[in-house]
Amino acid sequence: MTFKWRLPRRALQFSAAALIAAPALGLGFFRGNLAAAEFLGVPLADPLAFLQALIGGRVLVLSYLGSALLVSAGYFLLGGRSFCGWICPVGLITEQGDKLSRILGRAGKGGIPLASSRWSLLLVLLTVALTGVPLFEVLSPIGIVNRAIVFASLLPLLLPAAILLVEVLVSRRVWCRSLCPLGGFYSLLARFSPLRVGFVEERCTHCGDCLEVCPVHEVLAPSLKQGAPQVTAGDCNRCMACIDSCSTKALKIDFSYKRSCTR
Amino acid sequence: MDDETSHAGISRRQFLKGSAATPLALMLAGGGIGAVYLRPADARGFLLRPPGALPEKRFLAACVRCGMCAQACPYQSINLTGGEAGVGIGTPVITPRQIPCYLCQDLPCVKACPSGALDKKLEDIEKVRMGTAVIIDRESCLSIRGLRCEVCYRQCPLIDKAITLELRHNARTEEHSIMEPVVHKEKCVGCGICENACVLPKPVIVVQRVVEVQKDSYDF
Repeated sequence: MTFKWRLPRRALQFSAAALIAAPALGLGFFRGNLAAAEFLGVPLADPLAFLQALIGGRVLVLSYLGSALLVSAGYFLLGGRSFCGWICPVGLITEQGDKLSRILGRAGKGGIPLASSRWSLLLVLLTVALTGVPLFEVLSPIGIVNRAIVFASLLPLLLPAAILLVEVLVSRRVWCRSLCPLGGFYSLLARFSPLRVGFVEERCTHCGDCLEVCPVHEVLAPSLKQGAPQVTAGDCNRCMACIDSCSTKALKIDFSYKRSCTR
Repeated sequence: MDDETSHAGISRRQFLKGSAATPLALMLAGGGIGAVYLRPADARGFLLRPPGALPEKRFLAACVRCGMCAQACPYQSINLTGGEAGVGIGTPVITPRQIPCYLCQDLPCVKACPSGALDKKLEDIEKVRMGTAVIIDRESCLSIRGLRCEVCYRQCPLIDKAITLELRHNARTEEHSIMEPVVHKEKCVGCGICENACVLPKPVIVVQRVVEVQKDSYDF
């Protein structure tokens, strides 16, 4: 089988960026950006942006709640961090940075634990509750990239540029892996989602190719080292790069819940 | 193997370059964050928000910076702020001198706002209080100097309500009258059309923060 997940994934990442650019090009079927949008008449909303607006602005708009729940439900089914792997334009950019980083061989892998993103999430929610400043909507590189695409506001791009620089030279994909509060939010959501990467231990040759390509290699370790039949960690991006890389088809897409500890 | 030896060979240089890049990147990030954070959103003066905006502090939290109000505005009056707006980065703002708010009856910007940062309870555009027009430079105002200008008055969508002309005797010429435009803050919606229309290079009538109408002993 020569099918690679990389192709549809790239296609979706680029279509997401193109969708955001659509209104600027005079196309009416999409409005907004990844914080809140309307696509073919369906309102969509980033659940974390919704939470911040709710806490800080003390306004509850029912249609907004509905659209945030709709998006949450979708990401729950697919695995929350599939947003990071398939949609987020910052992810698309930092993946390219990661390629460069591999060539330069300068930046370290790992470093800050994955769970740090949950602390960022807590920090964001606390800040908005205490000061009314929606920290992540202000600093979000996703929002900055979105607005750069639609409204050509280019100066704030310095922030994602700094993130890229750190990721290329110091710690590979550290923002996306360990610091992004939205990633933290979705990883909590993804912890119990039904779509997972499954592992067939009998086929595995322990070549390590999957660990090499995985942006969050920690999540594969329980499977490879202890033979857990599924990757259960919410930090899995569902980028399917491990499946693409596996020459013996030991990794596959799994839908059902299985006990993660079989031995 | 090859990889390993090359790693060992340049480790010091790598270390130096790595440690030079880290502070640089931190400075960039810190500078960017600081530039955004050390300033409140309206540090450079009053920001004219679209119709129905919540009070500024709550607006800043409730606005998710999606830009849908700006995309919905048929006149492109609404722009999103950049880093100069501090924590208000990416929030919608109207710059009347460029394009004022033309007060659409159907409020497309308010309808487009998903988060309620623009209050959906707003239905009547004349009830909007985005700001209040103020004549900030009476000595330069052509009408007050005795010329027939009154452009702000003629352009005002609430003519004779939000801006009226008050006539008085021109003491300088002894034979003409002065027709002074007067803004009535309880009627002014703050659309900025007067500020846009002012014929002087620097507008003498500008929209500023809403001034509450206060009761005093003069009101019976």
